[in-house]
Amino acid sequence: MSEAQAALLLGKQLADLSKSPVEGFSAGLIDDSDVFKWEVLIIGPADTFFEGGFFKAHLYFPKEYPQKPPKMKFISEIWHPNVEKNGEVCISILHEPGEDKYGYEDASERWLPIHTVESIIMSVISMLADPNDESPANVDAAKDWREDYNGEFKKKVRRCVRKSQESV
Amino acid sequence: MAESEDSGSELIKIFVKTPKDKETVEIEATSTITDFKEAISQKFGQPVEQLCLIFAGKILKDHETLEKIGIKDGLTVHLVIRQKVGSQQQGGGSSAPAASSTTAPPAAAAGTAPGTAPGTTAAAAAQPPPAAAPFGLAGLGGLTGMGNLGMGSANFMEMQQRMQQELLRNPDMLTQMMENPFVQSMMSNPDLLRNLIVSNPQMQQLMERNPEITHMLNNPELMRQTMELARNPAMFQEMMRSQDRALSNLESIPGGYNALRRMYTDIQEPMMNAAQEQFGNNPWASLVGGGTSNPQQGQENREPLPNPWAPQGSSTTAATTTGTTTTTGSTTASSPAGQGLPGGLPGGIPTSGMFNSPGMQSLMQQMVENPQLMQNMLQAPYMQSMMQSMGQNPEMASQIIGNNPLFQGNPQLQEQMRQQLPIFLQQMQNPEVQAAVTNPRVLQAIMQIQQGMQQLQAEAPSLLPGLGVPSPSVVPPGGVPASPAAPASSTTTSSSTDSTSTPTTSPPTTAASTTATSAATPPAGPTEAQQQLLQQMLQTLAGGTAMQPPEVRFRSQLEQLETMGFVNRAANIQALTATNGDVNAAIDRLLQAQ
Repeated sequence: MSEAQAALLLGKQLADLSKSPVEGFSAGLIDDSDVFKWEVLIIGPADTFFEGGFFKAHLYFPKEYPQKPPKMKFISEIWHPNVEKNGEVCISILHEPGEDKYGYEDASERWLPIHTVESIIMSVISMLADPNDESPANVDAAKDWREDYNGEFKKKVRRCVRKSQESV
Repeated sequence: MAESEDSGSELIKIFVKTPKDKETVEIEATSTITDFKEAISQKFGQPVEQLCLIFAGKILKDHETLEKIGIKDGLTVHLVIRQKVGSQQQGGGSSAPAASSTTAPPAAAAGTAPGTAPGTTAAAAAQPPPAAAPFGLAGLGGLTGMGNLGMGSANFMEMQQRMQQELLRNPDMLTQMMENPFVQSMMSNPDLLRNLIVSNPQMQQLMERNPEITHMLNNPELMRQTMELARNPAMFQEMMRSQDRALSNLESIPGGYNALRRMYTDIQEPMMNAAQEQFGNNPWASLVGGGTSNPQQGQENREPLPNPWAPQGSSTTAATTTGTTTTTGSTTASSPAGQGLPGGLPGGIPTSGMFNSPGMQSLMQQMVENPQLMQNMLQAPYMQSMMQSMGQNPEMASQIIGNNPLFQGNPQLQEQMRQQLPIFLQQMQNPEVQAAVTNPRVLQAIMQIQQGMQQLQAEAPSLLPGLGVPSPSVVPPGGVPASPAAPASSTTTSSSTDSTSTPTTSPPTTAASTTATSAATPPAGPTEAQQQLLQQMLQTLAGGTAMQPPEVRFRSQLEQLETMGFVNRAANIQALTATNGDVNAAIDRLLQAQ
């Protein structure tokens, strides 16, 4: 698919999302002239430590979208096993199918051209509630999550939540 | 779409979506977000400052206009209703009922939340123990309402919610109460907790009717979890919150409401009754605030809390325990006297009930057996005020003595104790004495000295008066300036001369004065009794210290662990301490650590 087609596809998703937004997040463009760079605000899912937070993230789509996955990066500070300390989200559906660097991810778990902004963000929201312990991007967060879920992990997450609220 | 001819006055329709519902708001396209929020505030019945609007990945700022952001007719914005500052955030949907009650902080809550009242923080910590629904019962589900003991309200759901709100809004209070050494030490003693719960007759009744509860109480795992929970304020908070949600979820299931009602009548009500019975609307309140019927109940408490360290103006002894007495003067002394302590236990009738209760008795026993607990208790401010009131009210003191297993069956001892207690209690308020009483080494030293004295008396009775040491029970001078023996010595003094000297502050004079009056002390009989009493007390206290270290307390569990192949003794002890001696839990812990 050409770049024009990618832009068309993304433009359509943007229109859809602003007309009938999906529960749990809100999406727009960082810069209205560039449909490849999205800004997303994820509302911390209820019944998790992330509840009450507003987490800002950016999505960077390649020109080859939807053949290739976008990159996602949290701009708000977030403490989560599957989010690198620099904010990059490490989730199997954003991994290109070709390179199976972890060796255990099913092809079906990885990037598929059917994924949209909505499906990506919904996966990320479910990841917030239910981290994948097998391939932690943030080893310290994974350790906290495993060993001191209600202590250190919660404390750090709640701190991020508070920070995200202050930035409002 | 807003290809409007006159956008200034054109109304656009915007959908506002929360996790639960969706409303349409009509507003001029040129409006600011502030205007928009006001419109939403009316629709949703939520205060403007709690609204948070999100559109196209951005949180909308108040000064922006809809036009500028690009919010057009027919578009949807997200609305998140935030909780007030300081409380936990909740998702917009389920928070709606909770939020409405947040806005009306009940006056009664002030009664249960002394942390907000003026006065010493220490005094504030005095009441929380009952409010914490302490005996871990909160973990039984739906029982946090027990914390409202003092409120006596009928509407449990509302009450419970208020209580929770209050606690959630004031996390410091919860932390404070949980950090209270007394509460902590209670929480960390499963047996004591169980005793307290099980020994209540009404609770027993309840348990007979509901075997599940018995099961719960007998389930060490559950008790442990409950206690861990209670010790971890954050978890406690989390639990209360999710419980709230679970309840509201239950309500929306068909038939769920009835189930809730049943649960209430079957469990909550009897539990509440039991708890209320046990504490007569909060025992500590009665100690601090006067009798079983708290006059301040249900009202906002504007009175300054009684100063627990204020000396007793009307006390029988001059009570010059500390040098600060004169500064506080009669006003402070009379204020607790006026509304709090002395009349607070009229006739000893309600209190006798309290101290007769098996729960209290077992607490007493625990106290005697566990110096650590005693230390913690002595440090708690309400204990000090209680002691003051006991010092003033001999009748109450004598009842406590009469009910104490230590003294039961020994009338002579009782009599002795009765005479000595007021002074003893005064002495106990001295921090130095307290420190000494709770220091096992000091206790042991005293024991040794006493034994030596006894031997001396037996071997060479004539030597004693010559040495100026009247009886074995008198304070050994030097090294141990403040000791539990001190009260005994001063009683000896007061019984003969009505002297009100306070020996503890100045050891040398003490020694002198006791020596001086020693000749006048009544000889053999009482002295022997005193000696006996003292010895017994010391032995129990010292015996208790031996119980103290976890290696000893958890000896059998330790052995079990070792036979199972857990050879790291230090780790075993640590695990057992953390799990209150629950072997299974300790194993889990040890395995996890490996």
